Amino acid sequence: MLPGGARPIGAPRVPRTLPGRAVDHLRRFERARLRRVTVVDAGHGFDIFGMHPDWVAAGVWLTRFFHRRWFRVTAHGAENLPPRGRAIVVANHSGLLPFDAAMLYADVLAHTDPPRVARPIADHFVPALPFVGTLFARLGMVNGTRANVARLLEQEEMVMIFPEGTPGIGKPRSERYRLQEWRVGHAELALRHRAPVVPVAIIGAEEQWPVAARLDWLHPFGAPFLPIPATPVPLPVHYHIHYGRPLSLHDGGGDPDDSEIIAAAAERVRAAVAALIAEGLRARRGVFA
Amino acid sequence: MSRVLVTGTDPVSRALVAALRVEPWVERVITVDDDLSRPRTLRSVMQGPIRAQAIDTIVHAAPPGSPTHPGRRAHVVDVEATRELLRLAEEHATVRRLIYRSSSAVYHTGADAVEVIDEDHPLELSPAAPQWVRDRVEADLALCAHAGLSRLAIVVLRCAEIFAPGAGSQLHDWVQSRVCMRPLGYDPMVELLSVEDAVRALVAAAGASTQGVFNIPGADILPLSRLIAACRRLDVPVPGPLLHPAYRLRTLMIGKEFRYDMNAGRFHFGAVLDGRRARATLGYAPGHRIWFDGVRDARSRVTGREPRPS
Repeated sequence: MLPGGARPIGAPRVPRTLPGRAVDHLRRFERARLRRVTVVDAGHGFDIFGMHPDWVAAGVWLTRFFHRRWFRVTAHGAENLPPRGRAIVVANHSGLLPFDAAMLYADVLAHTDPPRVARPIADHFVPALPFVGTLFARLGMVNGTRANVARLLEQEEMVMIFPEGTPGIGKPRSERYRLQEWRVGHAELALRHRAPVVPVAIIGAEEQWPVAARLDWLHPFGAPFLPIPATPVPLPVHYHIHYGRPLSLHDGGGDPDDSEIIAAAAERVRAAVAALIAEGLRARRGVFA
Repeated sequence: MSRVLVTGTDPVSRALVAALRVEPWVERVITVDDDLSRPRTLRSVMQGPIRAQAIDTIVHAAPPGSPTHPGRRAHVVDVEATRELLRLAEEHATVRRLIYRSSSAVYHTGADAVEVIDEDHPLELSPAAPQWVRDRVEADLALCAHAGLSRLAIVVLRCAEIFAPGAGSQLHDWVQSRVCMRPLGYDPMVELLSVEDAVRALVAAAGASTQGVFNIPGADILPLSRLIAACRRLDVPVPGPLLHPAYRLRTLMIGKEFRYDMNAGRFHFGAVLDGRRARATLGYAPGHRIWFDGVRDARSRVTGREPRPS
């Protein structure tokens, strides 16, 4: 985006858009702050993955109610978020629908200056979802392939990865705060691209939406299952997001092609997230308090 | 000094000839307007002007045939002619370089694919792909299979879609309609290449000493809906299953080149080319934006003039 709202040469004049109107609802200082969000412009204000700064601001507007009122998100250790440069934010995943990702996205934007977008890395079925895939792409989501994440890290961006993946989001209540199968791709990327890993524990999300049933035989738009929630809306649990100290997995000079080194690095991240979860559960006064 | 032969008569080929004529390292440029799909014509060109002029570089820049007329003839034009050109060029005494203008249509796209496509990305080898795409892949692979083994230096340029009339652009044909229908719920990123940038890439490939496969990205990457708005067309999102019959009917009734089955993948999932190899090796980086001023002017100009301010 050029300063003063000017269009680059050749850029089309476009009508007032939905995100533009949503941004109008933000307070002036918030708008001014979000104007400092960095987008690697691919020529028309969008980056190559489809993210647009107006949509990011609209995303803040969309999540504001949940972030401030419904889930009353409290951040701990946000100073551990790197203000610039490549980074991988790794967190536990849960909650039936990815409200935890949305809250973490909004929280990182709120606690970084200039505001940084933690680019959510999604499973392959998400971009295939009509409307949702497009909306998420405008907000900064990227399809979870190694090449895409590598590109973001080379652009010195911050990415948000949930190594538990979709099985994490659908975990039953009895498994809450127990980390599921921990994928190792984030560790390999951190080693290969020498990116610090910020471990994050999201406390509250694992109780937000009880599941009545899970239809494993139904795969709408390629989703691995169809969850049936027990309540029409998520419960107003109190979210606590704990940011740990960045881990430099690459400091030992580990070979990113060595599967044992990758597994050990991923286990280090998993242990850090598990420790933050344990600390967060000990510190909180109650699910809703 | 180099002597270059350029095939094709489309805007890219014409602009390429003009650009090569002012290059200091080019001694002579000749063009071939004949139908090279006929082996006899091709042979007479190779033994006639190419031998007489001692051509050392062939730029096969001719666009592929129309996707609306598939069949044996289209296959001969797009694939067999390229293969025969390669064979004859390998046997020729003076020819040392062969540059082939391929297309990003050869790459597989889908929800499971990456958005940034490098040269190692899987090709569209599905038997369900339209013949036009399969022919493009086959011609591309025929050249790639010889790269490094042939005495020729072979360069394959996989260009993003050249958004210009007469250049075989599906999207350009699509936006000729006043109403542009696209899948409801999807708004993927599309990448467009200007004629100027395509020509710069072809000139760079002809003048370089290297060989290999290179992605040629464009300077315009934008959502499909923005492209429609830029061309001042009416954007009508339609449920995906209805689009195929609707566009088939349109092709039958008014004979347009656009085929939805060829574009269904990229109308759902965005994909852009990774041009780092071309930047590092050929020194090519996209620089010329397409000036959208209604669809009539939606072709990039080859005169070098800056677009007028809006």
